[in-house]
Amino acid sequence: MSATRAPAHKADARDRLRRVLFLVPYAVRHPGIPVRELAGKCGVSEKQLLDDLDFLLGVGCPPFAPDDFLDLYVERDRVYVALHQSFSRPPRFTESEAAALAAAAQALGGEGAARVVRALRESVPRDRRALFDELVHRIYAGSAPARDSLLGRIHRAIAERRVLRLRYFAATRGAEGERAVRPWTLAQALGHWYLYGEEAGRRKAFRLDRIRECALSEERFEPPPEAEVSRARLFSEPRAAARVRLGRRAAALALSRPGRYRVVKRSAGGAVVELQAEGEDWATRFALSHGAEAQITSPPSARRHYAETVRRTLARYRR
Amino acid sequence: MQKAERLLDLAAFLLRAAEPISWREIQEQFPEDYGGASGEAAIRKFERDKAELLELGIPVRYLSGDEDRAAGYLVDREEFYLPDLGLPPEDLALLYLAGSAALARGQFPYARDLAHALNKLSFAARAPGASEAAAVAALHLSGGGESQPGEGEAAAWLQEVSQAVAAKKRVRLVYAGLERMRITRREVEPWGLYQRDGAWLFVGWCHLRKAVRTFHLRRILSLEVNQAAPRTPDFKVPRDFSIAEHATREPWEYQRHPPLRARVRLDPPVSPELRSSFGPRARVTERRGAEVVELEVTDGERLVRHVLSLGDQAEILAPRSLRARARRELEALWRRTR
Repeated sequence: MSATRAPAHKADARDRLRRVLFLVPYAVRHPGIPVRELAGKCGVSEKQLLDDLDFLLGVGCPPFAPDDFLDLYVERDRVYVALHQSFSRPPRFTESEAAALAAAAQALGGEGAARVVRALRESVPRDRRALFDELVHRIYAGSAPARDSLLGRIHRAIAERRVLRLRYFAATRGAEGERAVRPWTLAQALGHWYLYGEEAGRRKAFRLDRIRECALSEERFEPPPEAEVSRARLFSEPRAAARVRLGRRAAALALSRPGRYRVVKRSAGGAVVELQAEGEDWATRFALSHGAEAQITSPPSARRHYAETVRRTLARYRR
Repeated sequence: MQKAERLLDLAAFLLRAAEPISWREIQEQFPEDYGGASGEAAIRKFERDKAELLELGIPVRYLSGDEDRAAGYLVDREEFYLPDLGLPPEDLALLYLAGSAALARGQFPYARDLAHALNKLSFAARAPGASEAAAVAALHLSGGGESQPGEGEAAAWLQEVSQAVAAKKRVRLVYAGLERMRITRREVEPWGLYQRDGAWLFVGWCHLRKAVRTFHLRRILSLEVNQAAPRTPDFKVPRDFSIAEHATREPWEYQRHPPLRARVRLDPPVSPELRSSFGPRARVTERRGAEVVELEVTDGERLVRHVLSLGDQAEILAPRSLRARARRELEALWRRTR
């Protein structure tokens, strides 16, 4: 079960080229940057970076006189560039780099998304713009999650560290409520965009498409620790998990979607999954969406909730 | 000379040139690489290198000669350097945020390209969020970062299919199909990729079924991209193909039977989420204090499943066949719960 890929050395060579086309101008812009920091920026080890620098010493242009070579050197663990041979800024985006950025921006939406896609197009070499146009129409990373004006306000609140007052639809309760949130960042999970932040001392995630209204308050807050933001753990505290037994077809359908469940057991005849969040209503909905192929096995309260929902729904069809 | 070194030497040479460089001069300056072989083989090698440079974002151009200028090759500096995107800080912030969130998520088409793009962007255009985006990019490039359990393979298929979509290369799949619950081998022309509920799917022409089909990346057991003639497309994508149309297709809109008109009653309070769960083509009207959703259905079973998942807040009114089916399913479920 493995994909057929380009030979590793070919991919490595291409990756090295892309990396050095970034690292040379970066080192030009940041004279004396520590080796470790530059390696970190490039996503490689210090050893690999030093190998790249060695490799670059052999790069130059005809007639290959001493001044025709790239000259990068390390002094006291810091990198300096003596001769950059015109590699002083990074090259334009390739069409797939720009298309990937464009797909991400379009999925987030916002007032600037269309401007961003236009600007990305302009930053691809002219000969490749038709390919960019084609590619950008062949990737769909999801529809924009929130109204433009709303997203703009959320961006501002994150940037200015201002508390947001939200009117939010909580799916678990099926109702809207007022919330006051310290917005930290936006994150994407399970195909949805979330505002991640703190509410009354607890980390919480709010789905952007469920924010009905929001307003910036004058109340400010200290920036959260970087580790907290990068972790951007989603969803509220898990509640008592419900276990659901799935038949073969339901298991194939459910397991091909990254969901909020953990696979407890898997066999040729199906699977047992544990729904990790959101309570009994979600477990009932999940089981009903698979019909007779799903059965809630525990806890008893979730089984009762399911049975009661089936009874009430059936009553509608018997009228 | 190593290929990577040759490509960079060539790029540096053409970047520095004030005038187009003739093919003869290139051969003279790179005698080991383009000089020794027969004329045609050398030209082909040079063309391959030129294509690779273009793929790295370095546009090597051939300029025809005229009275004042000899014909030859050149890298136009204006065309080479990543320009200032000319975006206001809030748009740049959106770009950083969207790009780094997509990358942090672990699965995104062209993820490696996205990481390189964020790196370039982060120092070519500074705005709030640039350093965070660069940190995510570096983490991705180093092979770090978290991925969801079981997603590793799907992530690998996503990168393979992304490349096949861009290069228009056929893929051979071993696929665990859901509809017939059978494992099949197929040859597919991948036309486009989309995300739904956090999962990635691709759409294309299936040579086994002789029809357009959608493939779930998580159901792929193995995948092989046609490696022959990597720069020559294997197929053309039809002009009227729209990935958005496939991406917004609801499960009951797949062609399983002739279209049926269905009506579903929703009891208040109806949240926008509930209403929009029927998709963009559903028509919603108000009737006697409730909302009635009207829609066209070509897979009745999937609509029944969706309506049942909404519990007693929703009820199929028409057609009779689907209403009867919902009732039968509920009766069977009710018997089982007792």
